[in-house]
Amino acid sequence: MLRLLLAAVFLAATLYAGARPIGPAPALGAFLEPANGVWALARTAQLPARSEVGIPGLRAPVEVLFDDRGVPHVFAETEDDAWRAQGYLIARDRLFQMELSARAASGRLSELFGARALEADRIARRRGLVWAAERAAAGTDTASLIARASRAYSEGVNAWIDGMRPSDIPLEYRLVGARPTRWEPLFTFYFFNQMALTLAYEDPTLDRLRVRALVGAAATEALLPRNSPIQEPIQPNGQGAPRYDFQHPMPPPGPPDTAAAVAVAERERLDLALGWTPRGREDGDAVGSNNWSVAPRRTSAGHALLAGDPHLELTLPSVWYEIHLKVEGGIDVAGVAFPGAPGVVIGFNRNVAWSFTNTGADVRDHYAETVDDPARPARYRLDGGWKPLERRVEEIHGRGGDVLATDTLYFTHRGPMVKDGTRWLSVRWTPFEARGGEDFLRLDRATTTAEWLDAWKGFVAPAQNGIVADRAGTIAIRSTGRYPVRPGDGRGDEIRDGSSSGSDWTSDVPVVDYPFALNPAQGFLASANQQPVDPRVNPRYFGSDWYSPWRAMRINQLLRSDSAITPEKMRGFQGDAASPRADAFVAAFLSAAAAMDRAGRGDDSLRRAAALLSEWDRRYTRENRRAVLFDAAMTALPTLVWDELLPPGERTDSTARLVAQPQDAVLLELMADSGSAWWDDRRTSAVERRDDILARALRIGLAETLARYGAPEGDGWLWAHAHHANIYHLMRLPALSALDLPVQGGTSTLSPSPGRGTHGPSWRMVVELGPEVRAWGIYPGGQSGNPASPGYADRLAKWLAGELDTLLFPASPADLPPGRVRATLTLTGARSP
Amino acid sequence: MKRWLSFAVLIAAFALGSRLGWWMVPIVAALWGFMRPIVNAPAATAACAAACAWGLWLLLDWQGGEGMGLAPLSERLGGLMSLPPIGLIIITLLLGALLAWSAAALAGGIANSLKSGSGGSK
Repeated sequence: MLRLLLAAVFLAATLYAGARPIGPAPALGAFLEPANGVWALARTAQLPARSEVGIPGLRAPVEVLFDDRGVPHVFAETEDDAWRAQGYLIARDRLFQMELSARAASGRLSELFGARALEADRIARRRGLVWAAERAAAGTDTASLIARASRAYSEGVNAWIDGMRPSDIPLEYRLVGARPTRWEPLFTFYFFNQMALTLAYEDPTLDRLRVRALVGAAATEALLPRNSPIQEPIQPNGQGAPRYDFQHPMPPPGPPDTAAAVAVAERERLDLALGWTPRGREDGDAVGSNNWSVAPRRTSAGHALLAGDPHLELTLPSVWYEIHLKVEGGIDVAGVAFPGAPGVVIGFNRNVAWSFTNTGADVRDHYAETVDDPARPARYRLDGGWKPLERRVEEIHGRGGDVLATDTLYFTHRGPMVKDGTRWLSVRWTPFEARGGEDFLRLDRATTTAEWLDAWKGFVAPAQNGIVADRAGTIAIRSTGRYPVRPGDGRGDEIRDGSSSGSDWTSDVPVVDYPFALNPAQGFLASANQQPVDPRVNPRYFGSDWYSPWRAMRINQLLRSDSAITPEKMRGFQGDAASPRADAFVAAFLSAAAAMDRAGRGDDSLRRAAALLSEWDRRYTRENRRAVLFDAAMTALPTLVWDELLPPGERTDSTARLVAQPQDAVLLELMADSGSAWWDDRRTSAVERRDDILARALRIGLAETLARYGAPEGDGWLWAHAHHANIYHLMRLPALSALDLPVQGGTSTLSPSPGRGTHGPSWRMVVELGPEVRAWGIYPGGQSGNPASPGYADRLAKWLAGELDTLLFPASPADLPPGRVRATLTLTGARSP
Repeated sequence: MKRWLSFAVLIAAFALGSRLGWWMVPIVAALWGFMRPIVNAPAATAACAAACAWGLWLLLDWQGGEGMGLAPLSERLGGLMSLPPIGLIIITLLLGALLAWSAAALAGGIANSLKSGSGGSK
């Protein structure tokens, strides 16, 4: 009887563990059973050598050859079939990633993860991008390129979902106990709006107000200037070298501005309501993308060269998927696509190559609205009359379909309207008028630089510095996106009066006024998120939150000094470890230490720090043992200099952070004025000058580096030991991530690497546009989202080493070397049995 | 010989049943136990057979991935659950064995009770 009881208890327990999730663990039965459970993913990790699958809706058979890097080469008879195949293939490799992106963008994560994702979903919907995507999709002509492409793509994705065997279900669905959702064309619109959130949400207004509240308007303009103090613009200004527009003397700290302090509180409430998270200080100049192109006369082989290097959040699987789409008599394009969107976004075809960096324009404004009933508004005031508000009732569902929350959202003609605590504020933002990726599809078809520029001219958001080169040797760059023209001061800082249409954007900057260059005399073009155009050349307001131009300075320095560039040199430039920022500041530190010594105010600590720093070659290589000291000193410096920008109640707190940090270029600007009031650290009784502060930062840097990494001779000081890339899995599961990867590069190098190491080079590409287009590229990770697949992270080692793969670009299936064909898949119109 | 044959049949039944789902393991085991087979320790036999069946499936998984998929997968899945790479494989086999043992033991016990209740003996 006891045995019977024991067996019953065991059976009940194992059945329970098999059928029900316990804590964060999934239900073990379905998860572990090896026929269809998670182990079956090992069976699907490799592509079958030859297979045939039916996709409903295909007009003609599509031949897909996977090369030995897992890249599918799609040979189709129509564009629609190519996009169908693309949807099928990407779903096969990245289905969970696609669904996660679409859900994050549409505020539907709670349906997958339950109540813990509720707040994220509410914010996603409140921001207005969901509303905008649905409006854009509904207003799209059904015969338009994006409508056709997203429809065909959806059919491909759904063909994969419909044909999935239990063993094909990705690991992540098993972990969260969910099933894949069918794809809709609308998801592509959601996806592009989410990219706008990533790339176009920076708004320096709050920083500006915070600084103004503490040190007044004049000082704010000096610390957070509209124009970069170092002019090295994207559109060449004919000067052939950076121009230092330094202001001497810099206006000193002024009295606090109480009106700005009130505005800060208001803006903080608004940002909280909309879930805007400011870019972290540690990211600052440490993230950013690069691209450049070189005219044939400055290349070794006499062919135009183009390099692309967008820096984005690094994830496993990657934000990119590599693919080649060939349509007989139509597109023949290769490069990287977003899982979730048809076409190739960055890449090349038989004639043209292109890439992007983010412009970072000021494209978001806020309006104080007057509503008829602050508790339950139905109308808003405009030009003396009342206009009805658009009202959306949003139900957010949980895992079981239960309603977790119901929110009522309001929209004016400008965009979403939220309550900041006391007032109703509406937001206008260019991504609300974006067109769902239509423009990227046009680029795939371009055969010349002129066609490419024309195809791209209507792009709305996020504004991008698009660089292009063609086989005829033409190179060009244009910062393209919708730039609003505003009334008044033309800037987007203040919260405007929403009750007057006179506050609205009056027009857009015309395309002819966009920052632009075509075949410049210097023979090359480059962008690195710096101010796109010299204000002396084009004074129009595009924004003010420009990255320091260190990377741009370095690229241009490399390109100016070499008139025989090769693809191999381009590859080397992408991982270049030098830093103009270090060049500028190391000299300043050493000079200050020497001056302190001469004045009899040096000490052993300072002398030791200076001696160690002088040993640095100012390169962030992995084997370097001195970059850690410089970085520690540079981390300590801003708080010592800009102590006026510490929150008033926290000035004695050593962990306090500045309310906003002026860029290093502004710090360099201050160097020339050794007695500026900014150098005085008001937290001390002494009155400091420049060298006192630089010496103090150097001492602090040494003390912290010694405490953290041990003796300077030890391996603790190795840059590879101190600085890492962290490539997290989409669900931030460490076991599926690649963490603590030693990388070359640091703050403001061409391969910038922030403190957290979560951003970096997401797709490095070099293209030579000769008689035959040759290309090289790599992204961190691999083509497959299946952790059992060798293709999950097979590119990591090469990416870390700064190497690129040769990209195959066959004109026909027969052109792909047989030894490099890993698998062949034939897609037919009929559903396979 | 007959015992080995019945053991092989049992493995096949577990393996085929698992194709439909993990819940087939206790069902097959219960049927086996209820039949009161003439083997020593029928519940333990069921446990061994279920573990063997699932082991065979793991072998198929390993071979299907050309010998490459299972190793990184067990390492990553083990990492997810703070286990060594082999840990989750052992848990998998144990789960199958436990499901089979408990179901077979319970069914066998019930069958014996019914039999003794009706006055018969084996």
